[in-house]
Amino acid sequence: MLVEVVQAVVTGLLIGLTFAVLAVGFSLIWGTTGVVNIAHSAFAVLAAFLSLVASRQWGLDPIAALVGLVPLFFILGVVLHEVLIKVAARRTKELGLASMIFTFGLASFMENGMAYVWGPGPRVLNTAYTGAAVHLLGISIPLTHAYGALLGLATIGLLYGFLYHTFPGKAVRAVWQQRDGAALCGIPLHRVTALTYGVSIASASVAGVAMALIYSFTPATYMVWLVNVFLIVIVGGVGSLLGAAAAGLIVGLVSSLSVLVMPFVWTNLALFGLLILVLLVRPSGLLKR
Amino acid sequence: MVNRPRDWVYVFGILLALGLLPLAQPSEYVLSFLYFLFSYAAMAVAWNVLGGFGGYLSFGHVTFFGTGAYVTGLMLVHWGWSPLITAPLGGLAAALLALVIGYPTLRLRGPYFTVVTVVTVLIAKIVVLNVPLTGAAMGLWMPFPPWDPFTSRVIFYEAVLVLLLAALLMARWVQHAKFGFGLRVIREDEDAAAAIGVPAFRLKLGALLLSAFVCGMVGAVHGYDRSYLHPDFMFDLHPSIMMVLMALFGGRDHWLGPLVGAVAVMITDELLTVYVGTEAARMLFGLLLIIVVLFLPEGVISLRLPKKPPRAAAAGEGVSSP
Amino acid sequence: MSKSTRREFLTKAGIGAGVLFLPGISLTVRASSAPIKIGGSLPLTGAYADTGLWVERGYRYWAEQVNASDGLLGRPVELIIYDDASQVDRGISLLERAITVDRVDLLLGGYPGTTAAAQMAVAERYRKVYVSMGGHMASFQRGFRYSFGAPPLMGEWWYEGAFQWLESMDPAERPKRAAAITANNAVGMAVRGGLADGLARSNIELVMDELYDLPLASAEPLVQRAKALDADMFIANGFFGDGVQTIRAMRALDYNPKLILQGIGSLIPEWVQELGEDGNYVVSGTALHDKLPFKGVEELNQVARERWGLRNAPEYFLFGYAWMQALQQGVEGAGSLNQDAIAQYLRTEGIDGIAGRMVFDERGLPPAFSYTTQVINGQVELIWPLHVRTHEPVYPKPPWGR
Repeated sequence: MLVEVVQAVVTGLLIGLTFAVLAVGFSLIWGTTGVVNIAHSAFAVLAAFLSLVASRQWGLDPIAALVGLVPLFFILGVVLHEVLIKVAARRTKELGLASMIFTFGLASFMENGMAYVWGPGPRVLNTAYTGAAVHLLGISIPLTHAYGALLGLATIGLLYGFLYHTFPGKAVRAVWQQRDGAALCGIPLHRVTALTYGVSIASASVAGVAMALIYSFTPATYMVWLVNVFLIVIVGGVGSLLGAAAAGLIVGLVSSLSVLVMPFVWTNLALFGLLILVLLVRPSGLLKR
Repeated sequence: MVNRPRDWVYVFGILLALGLLPLAQPSEYVLSFLYFLFSYAAMAVAWNVLGGFGGYLSFGHVTFFGTGAYVTGLMLVHWGWSPLITAPLGGLAAALLALVIGYPTLRLRGPYFTVVTVVTVLIAKIVVLNVPLTGAAMGLWMPFPPWDPFTSRVIFYEAVLVLLLAALLMARWVQHAKFGFGLRVIREDEDAAAAIGVPAFRLKLGALLLSAFVCGMVGAVHGYDRSYLHPDFMFDLHPSIMMVLMALFGGRDHWLGPLVGAVAVMITDELLTVYVGTEAARMLFGLLLIIVVLFLPEGVISLRLPKKPPRAAAAGEGVSSP
Repeated sequence: MSKSTRREFLTKAGIGAGVLFLPGISLTVRASSAPIKIGGSLPLTGAYADTGLWVERGYRYWAEQVNASDGLLGRPVELIIYDDASQVDRGISLLERAITVDRVDLLLGGYPGTTAAAQMAVAERYRKVYVSMGGHMASFQRGFRYSFGAPPLMGEWWYEGAFQWLESMDPAERPKRAAAITANNAVGMAVRGGLADGLARSNIELVMDELYDLPLASAEPLVQRAKALDADMFIANGFFGDGVQTIRAMRALDYNPKLILQGIGSLIPEWVQELGEDGNYVVSGTALHDKLPFKGVEELNQVARERWGLRNAPEYFLFGYAWMQALQQGVEGAGSLNQDAIAQYLRTEGIDGIAGRMVFDERGLPPAFSYTTQVINGQVELIWPLHVRTHEPVYPKPPWGR
């Protein structure tokens, strides 16, 4: 029993980090610009598909493929901002709600586009280390989980360093905490927001690859991932980087430990229940100070 | 708001005339298509009371649709009561569920409320999939309606037409009553609404219950028409998305908007899926959603109606003519 | 909008509506050489498209063959296949559309079981013969007179052969403790339905019986549990995607049961492509197979080789072909398109096709049967019953990576 619990905790933490990295970019945009980007997880799924293509066509390891994917998705993020978000911010009053609808449209467009190109069926990423594991004291650590978690940790670390220790990063935080004040200080709002979108979508590509190492995916998978993202962001507090990281771990733990105490099929119910409970009790986030 | 009486005379006249359509012996397919159109339109019109007037965006109305279908379906299976008669009970069950969901969650605002509505669909689906009473994953089989195919089509056609008429009358009433005025004030600025004495919470809850009731009734009729219920399609997000799209596309400031949207969306959907392919159709709807929100926030009906005065003035006007 | 543009809009809408209803008024009197129209829907896009497309190819190949020879009742056949996008609701409407708008003479079976089950009800109401895989036992117990599973895909029968094989073993060699995980949908539940009885007959204790909703996010928690419970038989009543996930989790967690039963998914070429060596030794059931010794199977393998460069005919290509073959034999046997006569013929005379000879009972089902498969060296081999065996079973399953 003890081994089982420890194993569940270890897997839960690894999965949690992977989910956390999917959530941070989403949280960042919501926090800085008030946009709820439903298409965030669709971008992650797109990255998963592209890494699959890279691995099948050129035998490229998905993690190596990130060298190309991250810049590409950074550009996609900037384009998203220039083409849609800017127009939306100018033309709509309730940006939170409006953005939910039109990014939903974007997600739906992407989903069906991916289904058109790659087919709607489930795909799994095969790597040299898929199925391999490190065995320690009766505990197994699948390498895919370990690498996914490391990617997550590295990305969150880099983001933290960027936001707290570089000038553009500080500008992003300033915009998010005090939009008008930041503008008064001479921060170029427009460029800072464009940068935020670039960083956010680039982090989604890392998350997509990390998730694809562990999970099977279809074009429609973005909805499933999105629910987890919402859960993490709302538990962790909108806009909070470390909150998202901590909430990711909590969600990972809940989903892997709950199978020990209740039928597996109710696991998602426990997570959804947690989400609604947090919303009702502390909508600003459990972990936000 | 300016609302020439001619408009609704036309609309109800056309709908009543459509009620006589079966006398012309149209093909079952025509009836079947219009049946889908009317059911979606009725739900979109009802959805709009909360989502459009009140500005509380819900992706969860399919839960009420599914609840109506399952509750009346179970009454048919166990007690032999026809869903065409028990439909109001299905509506009541849906409204009851709306009360349970809405009472705690309508205090949430903006995206938070919307997230909850999405999650309620997922929760409802899991529950129905795992509870033996509902037939769980095997689905719920009901006895067939006791008529031949054509008669059956006609009966269901007329049933949803009646529901659509009722939904339109309800939405029209809400729009012109103090109720609708209050909802729009909530949408513009909820804190200000509370400050000027609008009972915001009660109005929102009322709007949710009304729209849930209509969706539950439609669900009851639709479930009986299918005679087979499964959570995969009774608690699927897609119909919810269609309702939202229809209302927004048509125009959410007017009771007639969702009907216009439903007609446009359903005809496009049918043509595209039959002649082009589903994926293309859905990609187009995705783009459409973006375009509507960004460039046509008042919906296509705003092209037809005289230009509205600015929002603040519209609200002011409402005070004098509720 | 001004008055003129409004009129323009109405005209356009009118044209749109006209196009929409055009097929409804295109009823013409047919000459006897006019093609026989056969219509219905398949999931050509959406979640089940991968399989649906193979069923479609089976249908189309059949039509090609018929039209190249004497036709059906001396008339050519024309297929009208709509895409229901893997949605049951659309499948119902489109089948109705085929019946009432296109006025098809015969119906095509839909896929998967949920759609087929719902379409069976439509076919029944319009009194049209409907040949498909059906929606497992529940759908055939509705008293439908026009629906046939020829052959059906019956979850309840799925592991019957495997259990017979286990019973034939020395009791000491059999597994002792089984862990089952089941995809919570009609297929998974139907497959699970046959478990209790089969396990009891072989004295195997069911120590874990978990359900999961699709899509399965991660199989690790379930596999961990089975490993912790020391189950030496693992039963995964799922599909391709979750099945692949499960096998990988078993390998990663170094869980080595003696026997793995897999629901659907291990029969398609992708299973071995995705899993490589790890896909080997998994046992599953089937109702049709490219190595069965029935007339016509080899010809279809040939077609699969020539057209798609495959080693042998995919299962659902065979299914599509088999259903059309059954319909064809029913029509030719009845000598007309009279639906009651076709149904009557299938019940009394039966068919003899690529799934073997079968006569249908009141429910529209042949007598219970199932074949048992095992993936061996990347090939799907038949291991039970003995008279169709193509390879000795490999048991117990060797540990991962050895």
